[in-house]
Amino acid sequence: MRKEDEDYFLNPPPGSAAERAVEFGIDLTLTLENLRLTPEERIRKLDDFITGVARLKASARRLGPEDAGDNQDN
Amino acid sequence: MPGIIKIIEAPLKLLGEHAVECVIIGGVAATLHGSTILTNDLDVCYARNPANLERLSNALRSVHAHLRNAPPQVPFILDAETLQKGLNFTFATDVGSLDLLGEVRGLGYFADVVEGSALFQLFGYRFPVLDVAKLIIAKRTAGRAKDLIAIPELEAILQRQITNAVADHGPTDD
Repeated sequence: MRKEDEDYFLNPPPGSAAERAVEFGIDLTLTLENLRLTPEERIRKLDDFITGVARLKASARRLGPEDAGDNQDN
Repeated sequence: MPGIIKIIEAPLKLLGEHAVECVIIGGVAATLHGSTILTNDLDVCYARNPANLERLSNALRSVHAHLRNAPPQVPFILDAETLQKGLNFTFATDVGSLDLLGEVRGLGYFADVVEGSALFQLFGYRFPVLDVAKLIIAKRTAGRAKDLIAIPELEAILQRQITNAVADHGPTDD
């Protein structure tokens, strides 16, 4: 990746599309991380995230008042 | 819930094995270009010439494709003629869901969509992937909230791509 690309996403020039994206709420540091990867690595990263979220949802349990006294580490 | 690789690998291999002329569009295209938007399905735009429709119908029959949005009792003969009579299809298959678009709103048919696309090697096959400028047009035309929120990041990626292209090859007349 070129240094100019890094600069563009980390310090968006005034009036640039990158600046507008940041104002919109996009975290361009994450975009930059993606751009450092190959296309196949980008797909794998997305895959890891989606699989991770699915595992999280499968394992998560909403706690209720009856759990208040439980040890949080167990 | 399967990861995105499972969702896209088998359908793309199917299209590759049957040499179906198609271009990857939608969220997977955005991901391949570096976007951080999340996607969980595969959309492709396919060529509607008779030979390709034949290859596509053969591919779909081999994985027992059926329409996702039609009741099972509705008769559907999966052949080139049926594909010719329709345009955009959403299939469920043995290898997962596959959304096939004959036309992409804002862009047109396959020839218009594939023009200027970049070739990517994926799962052993080469596929054209919709370029960022056209992705932006398609998402703006679709106009749904989930499409519109992807545009600012894609515009930043596009601006950087254009700057690099000019630096590498000089300005074009386009």
